[in-house]
Amino acid sequence: MKLTITKEQLLTGLQAVQNIVSTRTTLPILSNVLLRGEGQQLSLTATDLDVIVSCGVEASVAKGGATTLPVKKLFGIARELNGSEIDLEVDDKNVCSLRCGPSFYKIHGLSADEFPPLPAFKDDRKVTLPQETFRGMLRKTSFAISTDEARYVLNGIFLSLKDHKVTMVATDGRRLALVDEEVDISEKSQGEFIIPAKAVNELNRLLQDKGEVELKYSENQAAFTLKDEKGFSILIVTKLIEGNYPNYRQVIPAEAKERVPLVREEFLHALRRAEIMTSEKANSVKLTFGKNNLAITANSPEVGEARESLAVNYKGPEMAIAFNPKYLIDPLNALPNDEVYVELIDELSPGVLKINGPFLYVVMPMRLS
Amino acid sequence: MFRVILHLDMDAFYASVEQRDDPALRGQPVIVGSPPTQRGVVCAASYEARKFGVRSAMPSATAGRLCPSGIFVRPRMDRYREESRAIMRIVAATGAVIEQMSIDEAYADVSALCQGPDADASLLQAMPLARKLKEQIRAERQLTATIGVAANKLLAKIASDHQKPDGLTLIAERDKVQFLRPLPVRILFGVGKVTEQVLQRAGVRTVGDLQDYAGDLRALVGSFGPKLKQFAFGEDDRPLELGDDIKSISGEETFLKDTDDRKILRACLREQAADIATRLKRRRLGAHTVQVKVRYGDFKTLTRQISVEEPLTEANDIYRMGCVLLSRGKLVSRPLRLLGLGVSNLREPGAQQLPLF
Repeated sequence: MKLTITKEQLLTGLQAVQNIVSTRTTLPILSNVLLRGEGQQLSLTATDLDVIVSCGVEASVAKGGATTLPVKKLFGIARELNGSEIDLEVDDKNVCSLRCGPSFYKIHGLSADEFPPLPAFKDDRKVTLPQETFRGMLRKTSFAISTDEARYVLNGIFLSLKDHKVTMVATDGRRLALVDEEVDISEKSQGEFIIPAKAVNELNRLLQDKGEVELKYSENQAAFTLKDEKGFSILIVTKLIEGNYPNYRQVIPAEAKERVPLVREEFLHALRRAEIMTSEKANSVKLTFGKNNLAITANSPEVGEARESLAVNYKGPEMAIAFNPKYLIDPLNALPNDEVYVELIDELSPGVLKINGPFLYVVMPMRLS
Repeated sequence: MFRVILHLDMDAFYASVEQRDDPALRGQPVIVGSPPTQRGVVCAASYEARKFGVRSAMPSATAGRLCPSGIFVRPRMDRYREESRAIMRIVAATGAVIEQMSIDEAYADVSALCQGPDADASLLQAMPLARKLKEQIRAERQLTATIGVAANKLLAKIASDHQKPDGLTLIAERDKVQFLRPLPVRILFGVGKVTEQVLQRAGVRTVGDLQDYAGDLRALVGSFGPKLKQFAFGEDDRPLELGDDIKSISGEETFLKDTDDRKILRACLREQAADIATRLKRRRLGAHTVQVKVRYGDFKTLTRQISVEEPLTEANDIYRMGCVLLSRGKLVSRPLRLLGLGVSNLREPGAQQLPLF
């Protein structure tokens, strides 16, 4: 393989794929990026065996071919190079010669044949939506993904394609975030699956505000093709989490007694301040709704106490309910809206956070001991 | 205030309790542990059995060979625990602050009761108290104890190891450096098999060699160097760690026959989880880490652990985590000789987070 590429294009490609490469891996080939030169394109692919990230960048390829090179080394060198044009030439022993202005490097690679192959997808189950929409949906749910390895079906985002709606759900068993958007979905593309957190992270990182994302899926894998307007594309292929996602519909409270509108920023900042006065032992904040007032209090015996007052439109009976502050701060951070609505039943029933839009967040309170 | 620390060590504890409870065993080589025909190890041996070279942790079969006349007795842990509590009550009645190290061993800080004009005078004041304590344990429990008296934990333990059984040794501050000189380095806290080998390779065999070592010990033992030097001179400022502050709870079981029978293993885990949950509840603690331990027929031992955000308190949850660890690590790939379950990272639960599901 022999090609010339700009430093900018090479870095763009490497940045897109290298994040998935684990620093400690048992298989040496997994530390490498697969490079394939063809026509006017260099494609770069990296994987940790669960998720594959691949992208194509512009290059002028004099002689086509493929090899794999240690990605951290290649990225480290490319980033520091003092020139704009890079010549890459790989011999049949997978030794890559890299030239750029006064710099010359020889990097020992491994054969492209050793690299795990990209899975093939049937084209029949797919849906396309704007990257911005998809990104917004991920942002509004991914914070609620469980990190508890013992509940592995919750270690991802549940995605449902049904009734002309894409629905995403994430939960850790104590709070749940749900968002849906209307999308054209063909009859045969309907279905449900769970995208693992690792792939969600890559998507969160790589999705842009422009262009479209095409989602294809099979029994145990899903592929996301991200295309921007200039034709630059990134492919993310992930294994799916096997197992049954819990019946999340049943934990969504049917009706609320009290619905309180709140200014998101105000509520968020008051919570962030009060959270400082919580501790490992006293890790809750108490929300006390009184007439036209919301008091947020935190109290840790060895730390101190916090008391915040917010003017709210509330006419119901006084009610106090305690939450883990993180479980309120997370969604408030993720939402762009100016106004949010809190719906409550009583101090031991789930609280609900809503916006003017297709988003719902259910959170269980804490029982004060 | 001058520190006065006692180290109390019950003599051949399990075996002595058995000999006390059964007059027929007195004066006989008693070995507490599995019978020599079965697998398992010696938990304790009476002094009569020790003469034959029987030691605790030795396989029972070996003990049976060394001491054919040995009388093997099954351990009765509940009985020993009960006895231990009775003895600790006697120690506590002196007004000492106690750190119980194990079922038959404790440190007692009696500084508040024994203050003289200088450090050694204070230590001397502890002698009548220690004698009375030994006497009281003998009179009320018909058991003998060995006590070491010194100005810190390190020396008190070395003192009690010095002369057993029924011993009472005081290491005076004035004499401590000389006292330690001829002793092997292994006697110092923190020096195990590996450190001992490292030191021996550098020609350091006795505590005296350590005292005289001119180089930087950090080159040999890393960050332990400065502390080791202090220990070699009999200096130790470790405080007593007091009772309620437990760090982990665990249990393990060695099977009579290696097994991979899921039913037996599950029952074993379930029992261990129930025991752990009871002990957690007694102390009102929740566990954030669960650990399993397996040992195969060839003694290869593996442990796996998992940490969770919400504290675990219920037997069922602890059991479930144990199962997850075993299956995720594919640990029951061949029959197990031993299975253990433990929890650590213990904290008092604050407000209780309610679950959605």
